[in-house]
Amino acid sequence: MSDTKNELKQAFSLKFNIRDAGTLIGLIIIFIVFSLLSPVFFTAPNLINIMQQSAINAIVALGMTLVIISAGIDLSVGPVAALAAVVCASLMVAGVSVPLAVIAALLVGALYGLFNGVLIAYAGLQPFIVTLGSLSLCRAIALIYTGGNPIFGIPSSFRSFINGSVLGIPCPIIIAAVVAIVLYIILTKTPLGEYIFAVGGNEEAARVCGVPVAKTKIAVYVISGVLAAIAALILVGRLGAAEPTLGNLWEMNAIAAAAIGGASLMGGKGSVFGTILGAIILGSLTNGFTLLNIQSFYQLLATGIIIIVAMLVDRATRGK
Amino acid sequence: MGDYRLSMKGMTKKYGPVTVVEDVDFNVKPGEVHALVGENGAGKSTLLNMLSGVIKATKGQIYIDGNEVEISSPLAARELGIAMIHQELQNVPELSVFQNMFLGRPITKIGTFVDKKYEIQRAKEILKQLDDTIDPTVKIKDLKVSQQQIVEIARALLDNAKVIAMDEPTSSLTPREFENLSVLIRNLAKSGVSVIYVSHKMDEIFTVCDRATILRDGHFIACVDMKDECEDSIVTKMVGRKIEKVSHHSYCTNECVLEVKNLSRGNVVKNASFKVHKGEVLGISGLVGAGRTELFRLIAGLDKPTSGSILVNGKNLPLYSVKQSIAHGIGLVPEDRKKDGILKQRAISVNIAMPDMKRYTKFGLIRRSFLKNISLDFMKELNLRPLNVDRTIGTLSGGNQQKVIIGRWLASGTQIFLFDEPTRGIDVGAKSEIYQVIEDLAKQGKVVLVISSEMTEIMRVSDRVLVMREGEIVANLEHDDINEDNLAKYAIGQNKQVA
Repeated sequence: MSDTKNELKQAFSLKFNIRDAGTLIGLIIIFIVFSLLSPVFFTAPNLINIMQQSAINAIVALGMTLVIISAGIDLSVGPVAALAAVVCASLMVAGVSVPLAVIAALLVGALYGLFNGVLIAYAGLQPFIVTLGSLSLCRAIALIYTGGNPIFGIPSSFRSFINGSVLGIPCPIIIAAVVAIVLYIILTKTPLGEYIFAVGGNEEAARVCGVPVAKTKIAVYVISGVLAAIAALILVGRLGAAEPTLGNLWEMNAIAAAAIGGASLMGGKGSVFGTILGAIILGSLTNGFTLLNIQSFYQLLATGIIIIVAMLVDRATRGK
Repeated sequence: MGDYRLSMKGMTKKYGPVTVVEDVDFNVKPGEVHALVGENGAGKSTLLNMLSGVIKATKGQIYIDGNEVEISSPLAARELGIAMIHQELQNVPELSVFQNMFLGRPITKIGTFVDKKYEIQRAKEILKQLDDTIDPTVKIKDLKVSQQQIVEIARALLDNAKVIAMDEPTSSLTPREFENLSVLIRNLAKSGVSVIYVSHKMDEIFTVCDRATILRDGHFIACVDMKDECEDSIVTKMVGRKIEKVSHHSYCTNECVLEVKNLSRGNVVKNASFKVHKGEVLGISGLVGAGRTELFRLIAGLDKPTSGSILVNGKNLPLYSVKQSIAHGIGLVPEDRKKDGILKQRAISVNIAMPDMKRYTKFGLIRRSFLKNISLDFMKELNLRPLNVDRTIGTLSGGNQQKVIIGRWLASGTQIFLFDEPTRGIDVGAKSEIYQVIEDLAKQGKVVLVISSEMTEIMRVSDRVLVMREGEIVANLEHDDINEDNLAKYAIGQNKQVA
């Protein structure tokens, strides 16, 4: 009885660390500023809008967070998403049932992640270089597969599912929330989560403890690939088309969200909650600047400043 | 005060509400070698860091030759003639000796081009006083650690250092290299340089130092003349209580648990064969680089042997698989805790659970409170203070971290413990606790292998000692044969014991 109580207490305390509180404060400040500047900003429809716009990046960024905690990086998420999108779309157009096409897309993501992971874990190549290679390779496959043309004619059943909502909450937000919960459980409640932290924090010590280092690394890249595919499916559903060029710069936005949320590129540090907040911060910047009719150049400027400020705050508060 | 080269008065350092050093006085005369001793966490490093400008003192004054100075940065310390030689040498391996010496302050011609010729000349002059076998143009990485250390001293002399602080300078030196270093330090002192010598090794302190300042729990305890002291009196002051010398009990049986047969890895480990029995503590002695750690890594499944086999309870152990080694009850307590032992940012309990996660998992989820209870049990047994398993392991002292690593293997049901330098970087008080743990393990019928470079340690814990030299086991010493003469003879000499 008290056991469960303790578990609950612990779950909560683990979730809310100081670094996440810092990110939350940052988000609140951004919300206050935009609310003062625009009356529309802090309204229910607009907030849902922000969440919906952040959902795709949040999903990709969550996979990236796992990779980053393991002291890796996945630069190939955009092209992997594109490949998953065009494969799924072409199957649906060819008359394959929607669930099967969706599974095929997830499989593409998983297989590509497996490819990255095996090269990194068994061939011992550096994650940055492997996934940089994959960035070109995978994009090329998507372009060659489609001849460079977008695929139209996505079945309406799929589109209406993605564009639908439950109790007023748009489907992409629900998908992102489910992904977040699953990853939160993986990261904080399962051995795999501890292995990811161990491998990223101190790979040698992890080896000495018999942690399956290679399998852990492969797992994070597979998860990252699958999440890129899920994000791609949302985009395909919303646009009603699959472009082989989709997902450009996704890796950068994902890394930004994870970093703002407190993930350390040195490995061993990061949280689901933080990354979600990071993605929402980036999403509300886009939204706020659009509402205020400010050139997107300034949005880029603000994003850059926020990333650097977040890192400075990180540095200043480390070890406290 | 005018008599002192360096005088630190009322030094205090607080981190928020936590006081780590309080009102410490530290006075060093010109031309003396002054030991700074205390257990880990006594405040030695903090004091040195305040001296070298790495951290800012909360309170206190520092005088050099009677003049009050402010040391606001490492650069300021350097300009005042204070040099630090850290335990982990700070050099650039790919650069040559003279480039390392002039790093950050090159001599230039016309203000732009590095005057290499002059730098080499100057480096040669300084090195000549210390060790004329070092060529200033070779790369640092091609030197032995002891020589690299001399280059650091040379760098300090290049800065006209008046005070040179050395933090655990002998942690990776052989006994012979220590002798050279001690002569060198005495010569430095003779030439008027003040040397601050931080070490855990009492025999060294008595060999090289004139006086010692003793710290405990961040407080000044005493400043003593080495002439008036003995090892016990210093240790007693450091620890604040007497450390009992325990006689060695043997729990060795005839039941062979671990058998290593003709195990080799290239030239690093050559044809190692030995048996270890239930309840036995087997010491492995030898110089740094004799292949002892490498032997452990083969047994632990971390490296791939070129030939040979290992039997655990008569069964063949699949080699080069950490998972298999752990499943056969083998646990490695590594020498470099930071690098190979701890998961710095994780809780103590997680560090304990790591090799045996399955046990704490139900339906795929970790049972945190079950894990916590188990961890608490083992940490209570090992006398961890404070007894809190939720703390991040990185915040613990070396001795406590070591207890957690030992607890990790106890909790995983380990039968064969491989201790690699179990008390390295651990203070005197915690050391005897670790020895007690080793003895208790033997009592429980575990098999314990201990690598140690400290002869007193090897003699204290072992029932039997293997001596390794250049990858080979050259002696198997028992009972009265385990003495300093034999250990040194086989470790360094040419002779080999006839089996």
